[in-house]
Amino acid sequence: MLKKYNILVVEDESELAKSTISSLSENGFSPFHAKDLKSARKLLKQEKFTAVLLDLGLPDGDGISLIKEIKNTKIEIGLIILSAKDALEKKVQGLELGADDYLTKPFFFSELNARLKSVIRRLNLEENQQLTINEITLFPKEMRTLIHGKIVELTGKEFGLLLYFFSNPNRVISKTTLGEFMSSSYADYGFTDDVVYTHIKNLKKKITNSGGDDYIKNVYGVGYKFTVA
Amino acid sequence: MKLLTKTSLNFISASVIFFLIGSVAMYFSVRNIIAEDLQNRLLQQQKDFFYNADQNKLTDLSSKLVFIQITDKEIVHSFSDTVLIVNDSYILYRKLQFSYLQDEQYYHVSILKSQNQSDSLIKKIVIMNVGFAMLFFLIMFFVNRHSIKSALSVFYSTICKLENFELSKLQTLTLETAEVHEIKKLNEVFEKMATQIYNDFEAQKEYTENVSHELQTPLAIISSKADELMQADNLSKEQMEQLALLLETTNRLSKINQALIFLTKIDNRFYTQGSSFSLNILVKEKLQIFDAAIQEKKLKLELDLLDNTQIYMNPYLAETLIINLIKNAIIHNTNGGMLHVQLSNNTLSISNSGYPLSFPQKDIFKRFIRSENSKKNLGIGLSIVQRICKLYNFDLKYKYQEEHNFVIQFEN
Repeated sequence: MLKKYNILVVEDESELAKSTISSLSENGFSPFHAKDLKSARKLLKQEKFTAVLLDLGLPDGDGISLIKEIKNTKIEIGLIILSAKDALEKKVQGLELGADDYLTKPFFFSELNARLKSVIRRLNLEENQQLTINEITLFPKEMRTLIHGKIVELTGKEFGLLLYFFSNPNRVISKTTLGEFMSSSYADYGFTDDVVYTHIKNLKKKITNSGGDDYIKNVYGVGYKFTVA
Repeated sequence: MKLLTKTSLNFISASVIFFLIGSVAMYFSVRNIIAEDLQNRLLQQQKDFFYNADQNKLTDLSSKLVFIQITDKEIVHSFSDTVLIVNDSYILYRKLQFSYLQDEQYYHVSILKSQNQSDSLIKKIVIMNVGFAMLFFLIMFFVNRHSIKSALSVFYSTICKLENFELSKLQTLTLETAEVHEIKKLNEVFEKMATQIYNDFEAQKEYTENVSHELQTPLAIISSKADELMQADNLSKEQMEQLALLLETTNRLSKINQALIFLTKIDNRFYTQGSSFSLNILVKEKLQIFDAAIQEKKLKLELDLLDNTQIYMNPYLAETLIINLIKNAIIHNTNGGMLHVQLSNNTLSISNSGYPLSFPQKDIFKRFIRSENSKKNLGIGLSIVQRICKLYNFDLKYKYQEEHNFVIQFEN
């Protein structure tokens, strides 16, 4: 990504904020940190942000109120709620007010990257209709994959996996993280290593069979890494 | 039996008994009084007879109701009952007989007095008294009934409000003010109790939320730090494995925490708002989620959704119930095994092939119980299923006959 996106991280837990910020900058974003609602409001006035990562339980109030304020400004800002509260009503309330996504703590950075990029893609309709890494091009909206300009048929799960790797290039993604990602649509946990292994094996085969490089590397048997030189 | 019916029945039965005893007693006492009066009148007549006998010839004194006969000896003065036939009808008389000495000759004198009049007098008095008593009891009955009813109206409204009282609806209990001291006191106690329960409920809810928040945040820090460390370039295989394990364990801990909080929420009746929906559609919808997993394990899915079952429950709990059961049947299935979902007569039956349990069958719904070959699972899913069924009084059964079989009988 050439353009640097400004991301505001509203999080009162300083250690978590530190890790989030370093993960975001490694991924090519330019992150800002606000530890409460007051400083978040101040930063929102000073800078132009593409997206806000919002914790709900803040020392000076509920993050929900900030969603309303941001939506009232009519400026298009992506909003992802990061909350320790897995309460259904909070989730529904947040999404109804206009938040784009909701992640329950603890979350994985790879998951956050993927969700954040997806939110940004949805905001910038003209740009980023397609994602390209070397010979592979993805069209997320149509779920189409081109390798060397030729269409490769991927299953929904395989396409999801590839998009996930595209959002996390050169990042070690543990099997646990991938298992969570794969089973997120099962509304719960339970399908892990075997399912992940089978899908990745199939995806690798399809990429190399179409003349693509073998980007997905196994890391000591505990995770995978999409290596882009 | 209603309190009002009970008191009315008591009143009626007591009244009837007293009324019967009272009437009989009154009849006899009135009869005694009147008989005494009759005797007094006969004695008065005897005095008149003595007075007249001194001046007149005795035989002239004989009349319709005074009989005089000559006798040779003195007889004892006595009362007795006798019956005369007058105009072909029997009439009961009271008779006073005595002897009278005149001119050295004893006379046997009998004076009679009809009891007919006294009999009718007794009848009239008894009827009048019984009538008054009956009227009195009737009035008492209705007055009593009405006053109890009005005193209890507040009590009934209290019962009605207590019945409809639901903590989770965030309502406070306000009861009517009563005139009767006891009911007033009862309402006060209830209101105090409701406030106490409400406060406890709120506190527990807050505690659950706090625990969730307070545990999830440190877990998020551990997980994020492990994730960050994993991105370092110079890690050995061993270090990488340890970090991955750290990440996996933290994730697991967080899932256990969430599941336990969820169980607590079910037990605290957190999810009470319900709606009515089709179980068939829900089952079909949720099975779709598992399409990939079913293909993965090459399971043979048999689906018999025979009739359209409508259930009334919280949609989120219904969804969780179905998902947990299907997931359980897939995870513990063998590769190429069978998955049979059947719905008929308000009964959902899910069977799957799989190895027999490695623990006693009665423990299947206990928390953290899982078979030897599935240590990676949390062992909470079926506990959640059981709690949801318990909440709605659904009958949940498990049996193993070459295959695992779960049956839920929905009862609405």
